[in-house]
Amino acid sequence: MTTALRDFIRNPTAAELELVARYGMQPEDARRERAFLAFAETGLPHRRMEAWKWSDFRASLKSLDRPKQAAIPDPLPHDGALVFRFTPSGFAYPKTLPSGISMLAKREVQAFSSAEDLPLGALTAALAGSDSKPATLLFEISGRDLPRLHFVFEGAGEASFSRVVFLLRPNAELVVTESHLGGVGMASALSEFTLEAGAKLTRTIYQRSGPEDAIGIASTLTLDAGAAVTQTTLAFGAKVSRLETRVVHRQPGAHLTLNAAYLAGKGFHADITSHVRHGAPECVTRQLTKGAVLDGGTGVFQGKFLVPRITGQHTDADMQHQVLLLEDGAQVFAKPELEIYADDVQCAHGNTSGALDDAQLFYLRQRGIPERQARGMLTEAFIAEALETADETVRDVMLAEAQDWLAS
Amino acid sequence: MLKITNLSATVGEAAEAKGILNGLTLDVPAGEVHAIMGPNGAGKSTLSYVLTGRNGYDVTGGSATLNGEDILAMDPETRAAKGMFLSFQYPVEIPGVPVMTFVRTAINAQRKARGEDEMSAPDFIKRSREVGKTLNLNAEMLKRPVNVGFSGGEKKRLEIYQMMMLEPKFLILDETDSGLDIDALKTVADGVNAMRDPSRGMLVITHYQRLLDYIKPDKVHVLAKGRIIKTGGPDLALRLEKEGYDGVLGEAA
Ligand SMILES: Nc1ncnc2c1ncn2[C@@H]1O[C@H](COP(=O)(O)OP(=O)(O)O)[C@@H](O)[C@H]1O
Ligand SMILES: [Mg+2]
Repeated sequence: MTTALRDFIRNPTAAELELVARYGMQPEDARRERAFLAFAETGLPHRRMEAWKWSDFRASLKSLDRPKQAAIPDPLPHDGALVFRFTPSGFAYPKTLPSGISMLAKREVQAFSSAEDLPLGALTAALAGSDSKPATLLFEISGRDLPRLHFVFEGAGEASFSRVVFLLRPNAELVVTESHLGGVGMASALSEFTLEAGAKLTRTIYQRSGPEDAIGIASTLTLDAGAAVTQTTLAFGAKVSRLETRVVHRQPGAHLTLNAAYLAGKGFHADITSHVRHGAPECVTRQLTKGAVLDGGTGVFQGKFLVPRITGQHTDADMQHQVLLLEDGAQVFAKPELEIYADDVQCAHGNTSGALDDAQLFYLRQRGIPERQARGMLTEAFIAEALETADETVRDVMLAEAQDWLAS
Repeated sequence: MLKITNLSATVGEAAEAKGILNGLTLDVPAGEVHAIMGPNGAGKSTLSYVLTGRNGYDVTGGSATLNGEDILAMDPETRAAKGMFLSFQYPVEIPGVPVMTFVRTAINAQRKARGEDEMSAPDFIKRSREVGKTLNLNAEMLKRPVNVGFSGGEKKRLEIYQMMMLEPKFLILDETDSGLDIDALKTVADGVNAMRDPSRGMLVITHYQRLLDYIKPDKVHVLAKGRIIKTGGPDLALRLEKEGYDGVLGEAA
């Protein structure tokens, strides 16, 4: 490795040196370089960065090692879906696609405009691509009544970087489901969605892995006039994990539902972060995040609505974060933020945390339901509200997964 | 059946624990219905929680056995599986858990604890329909989350629904009459009377005599200051109604 490459990141850790080396092996590409430089500005995000103070990837990820635990089997159904599978070095996809879906696997890196805001996204843009894996996987969607697209991200290996870019043409409708299944030391996915006028996206994300994985899921969503996105996440966290979604309402009348449930057990860390910019009048955002955390688990919720003075008029936005601390020693950090400069808006937010209700627990037990099962029922009932918006093809499976976790 | 001997209990956390039951003795044989009456704050609900094992209600002396088995050492779900049922004075709302799911889970958990087979879904639905009908609870209500959005009277009827579905051995009704109009009171009493059985015992806690016109007790006990201070027949309830607790208690003290 040249000294020039080494100097990209100041005082690099072993993991960061690995990342620099991986970058060094990529073909030259000005956009790739720009993305990597944006990442190298800070290196792996760490606690001295305000937006990462509760999710320190640098400290958690000392080196890139293949975890002992393999990827978990995908619980989401593949039936009736077009399945795309990303592994550290491979990419598999259906041989034929219906009209209305066109796919282009590009070896070149597409410019990534949110690189400064999404350091893991920038890293992914810089490192995605290998012999058999595209640097950028492009989708153009122009139809409706299309089959569901299901994306699987899984091991096995030290690191995996995957990037998918979607363009939904006017009035197109798409259902996307994703399973992020671990088995990789560091798995980082970047998804960018642009919805043109009247387009509709239902996106459901399932994330689960063993306790040694580091997982980044970075997304951008840009909505034109009257476009609608419903995104629903069920995250179990990892050694360190961050699911970060940046949304721009770019034209009037766009509608966003952004829901997530996180369940963090002992040794797991689940971070749900989002930033929604109401860059056009009369847009709607509904955000509900529910969490449940056990002793030794960590949950992070950071949400921000930015409503500029002129473009944000008649914004209607609501952000709720509610978490159950199921045991002593459960840790949760929450930072809900409304930054509102427009005057004619309806914006609200709520943030609560608490334990299971003793009176409810006793009521269930008095009826003969054992304590553990009673706790599971109450927790599932609490979480379920955030998963109601999941695509119907996967909703029941997600609820069952949540219940299994609670009962174990 | 249920035998309580010299029972003492405190309420609250260690430092602030308050003695509420002070040597309470009571025997309800199988097949009998006993009423407990007493002024507010006497310890009636405390007794029902101590018997069913609620956290924060600690036994400091005495014993309670159900058919000879010490129930005080068991956790609440084990007592439930042994047949103890409490109709709560204030039924608890459980958002997100539909009544039918809840009751079916409870029935099967109890059956499992007793080593019995699960109740099949069709059997459950059939039985639920029958019981719902006798209590004027329609199918739509039984699909709603437990007690959420139910009126006071509906909550009490739902307690009786659960009781009839679970078919417990020993019933404690804690002020099931409060908040009921006369029609609902009759409906609830019919439900309770249908449960009367030579192998079943009941403890009916009430503040007013009214309920006892419909659920005829074999014995009436007066609970005050954490003890049974007087026991009599149904006429004792009538006397309490006429003379008030002060009159009757004054004589006992
Ligand atoms: N959880 C509790 N913490 C503290 N005091 C309690 C608690 N529950 C009941 N008490 C007290 O115990 C006494 C008896 O209450 P309770 O059993 O509810 O009476 P009753 O049902 O006869 O009206 C009252 O003085 C009440 O304030
Ligand atoms: Mg009471």
